[in-house]
Amino acid sequence: MEAIEAVDREINKVLNKFENFKSQRTQTLQDLIQCLEKTRTELSDAPDEDELAPSHSLIMSQTCLNIKDTLNQIAFEHKELHGNVSKVGKAIDRNFVSDFGGIMQDMMSNDKNMDKINQVICEHFLRHGMLDIAEEMIQETGLQIDETIKEPFLELHRILEALKHKDLQPALIWANENRIRLQAKNSCLEFKLHRLKFIDLIKQGHSHQLMALIYARNFAQFAHTHCKEVQSLMGSLLFVHQGLENSPYSYLLDPYLWEDIADIFTRDACALLGLSVESPLSICVKAGCSALPPLLNIKQVMIKRQCSNVWSSKDELPVEIDLGPDLRYHSTFACPILRQQSTDTNPPMRLTCGHVISRDALNKLANGNKYDTYLYFTVCSHGVADSSVPIVQWSRVSQMPNKYTFDQI
Amino acid sequence: MADLKALEHPTLKVPYELLNKRFRAAQKTIDREVSKTQIAIDDLDRCLQSSTVTVGQMKTALDGVVEKLTFLKRKSEESIQEETDAAYVCKKRIEHLKEYEVSHPTQEAQWKKKRLDRMLVEYFLRCGYYRTSLQLAEHSEIQDLTNIDLFLMSKEIEESLERHETTACLQWCHDNKSKLRKMKSTLEYNLRQQEFIELVRQDQRLEAVGHARKYFTLTEESQLSVVQRVMGLLAFPKDTSLEPYKSLLDENRWHSLVEQFRYENFKLYQLSNTSVFGISLQAGLSALKTPHCYKSDGSGKNTDCPVCSKHLNELAKDLPYAHCAQSRLICNITGQPLNEYNPPMMLPNGHVYGANALVKQAENNEGVIVCPRTREIFKIDDAEKVFVM
Repeated sequence: MEAIEAVDREINKVLNKFENFKSQRTQTLQDLIQCLEKTRTELSDAPDEDELAPSHSLIMSQTCLNIKDTLNQIAFEHKELHGNVSKVGKAIDRNFVSDFGGIMQDMMSNDKNMDKINQVICEHFLRHGMLDIAEEMIQETGLQIDETIKEPFLELHRILEALKHKDLQPALIWANENRIRLQAKNSCLEFKLHRLKFIDLIKQGHSHQLMALIYARNFAQFAHTHCKEVQSLMGSLLFVHQGLENSPYSYLLDPYLWEDIADIFTRDACALLGLSVESPLSICVKAGCSALPPLLNIKQVMIKRQCSNVWSSKDELPVEIDLGPDLRYHSTFACPILRQQSTDTNPPMRLTCGHVISRDALNKLANGNKYDTYLYFTVCSHGVADSSVPIVQWSRVSQMPNKYTFDQI
Repeated sequence: MADLKALEHPTLKVPYELLNKRFRAAQKTIDREVSKTQIAIDDLDRCLQSSTVTVGQMKTALDGVVEKLTFLKRKSEESIQEETDAAYVCKKRIEHLKEYEVSHPTQEAQWKKKRLDRMLVEYFLRCGYYRTSLQLAEHSEIQDLTNIDLFLMSKEIEESLERHETTACLQWCHDNKSKLRKMKSTLEYNLRQQEFIELVRQDQRLEAVGHARKYFTLTEESQLSVVQRVMGLLAFPKDTSLEPYKSLLDENRWHSLVEQFRYENFKLYQLSNTSVFGISLQAGLSALKTPHCYKSDGSGKNTDCPVCSKHLNELAKDLPYAHCAQSRLICNITGQPLNEYNPPMMLPNGHVYGANALVKQAENNEGVIVCPRTREIFKIDDAEKVFVM
């Protein structure tokens, strides 16, 4: 990306220049020192009281001038490097946004909010199994975390760790304890756990064949729900001798099944415990990182056009931010006529032609402004199956409250 | 990629400021050593200029010059090394940012997780939770990518100020003199004032006067009234209850010194006062906030939605809603979106679900469907189509 490339270029230039300066100038200084030391050794032969030869004198003065010049040059060259260094800073400032002021009121200055934020962060750590960090945080911040909140996360993490090490036992025990609730949610977790255990036994070959057979009795309870699966698992018993890899059942050995089981377990357990599958903090920050660039852009535009009073309305963000289907957790309805989001006081209403508009729009149309009714007709003009409902007759529009029924979504 | 531009300015600017600082220090060192060496050479020159010069004098003069030159060489090498190190830190961070562009989905998820950890480390450092941040940085192996060293240094100074010691802070002011002067900082001045007040508190009034003579003489016009008030403190006992002298003796002045130091430290490194984490969290909450999360009867809550979760729900109460210009419906039963492949159908009680889910239910149940929200029973034929644009 351009921004990074720009800064990278400048930094590379700086690094190069420093390297050159260092190697060259160190060499120069070394040469000077050696030259002086040579002279020194020449002189050391002669006794101290002798007078210095004029030739020596001359050479020495010359050398002195030389050295002085070189030193000045070194200092000067180093100063020149400053230009490159400051270019790095300028590249950073030009390509990256440094000022977030004015986008949002600062939530962090409030102490109560800080407490809640810290709680959320702590839960995030617990959820991801970073228990020691969570502990340290609780100590340093003085948070009050209920033990009951910690418990489900700790258990979840314990079972997931076991699954990572291909130990199915804790998961099986948990699934057993929660069987009824799992079945109410149509979960196939327990079956898949048993299946994995069975495959494991078969993998160990002939010696465990009997054990596998006995274990297969666990499948009896799944005979109705997973009939075909049970049949194919039984079929795999035929290939215990030669190994499953060379049989039509080799797909049972796919390591993907282990990743899948961890995923299914997380989902079902979270659904049972009433927790969200992913940490709310990660989702929020992910959404925020996507939302900040458009918000910063719009702030720039608003400052340029000096219409910043539009921002001060605290009801809605000024621009729509599309976070993608993954981050959509609620249905949102926007009236096609007034383009406002529906709320408790302004719910969507369905007309008998099937179209849905907000209550405010409906009231406006019913109060009979000709222009608005025209708008309604363009909206509804795609034709309706029920011929008793005319597509458009503006006089009918004003009678809508009586003639048509409205239902709430 | 746009989020890199928006969020990563502090990541790169702080090591740059460090590089700048080291450059200036290196320049000073080089200049100083060069001038010292030149003095030695001048000595040598003078020796040569004098009418008689012995070999012995020459030798000593030469030794002097060689010694200075060697010292210069060593010092300049050290300084350049420090500068290069600082530049390498910048480079490392840029390399890390580059990884974001070229990554696969799984690697991207890893990078984003590292980003969240980086933001959390910075947040903890700003709040003063140093142990937690160190542990987290170690756990995610992001020590080079965060500004821990900067904050740890400032932590030491803050702690010394809390202990009512001014030496460390004064040293810091001295190290950063030029930049602080550019910022028109009053920190050093306030520190000297506080020292004066402490001397008075300990009833060492003569020493206090000496101190004032030394440090208050360069006061500017605007500060004169402040100095006068502080000097007036000399006349009062240390447990006086008269304003404004009582508030001058207040211990809380140390807290405001700590805060002023923190603020100016941030400004030096061009860090803003709000953490990146705070801003992202707020922006995210706003972008995810819908009226459903705040329905009075709680019927709209979705356990997966972060804004519906307990603490975030309270946090987001005062934030603006997400702007919604297009309708996007989701089936309550399956969680699938409602569109032309899964058209929305309305039951007689007014609730709307996806056609696929309702038809599937009807198939398994001889044309009878049960509304999941109210448990009322309807026939599939009673469901009517709904058109949402």
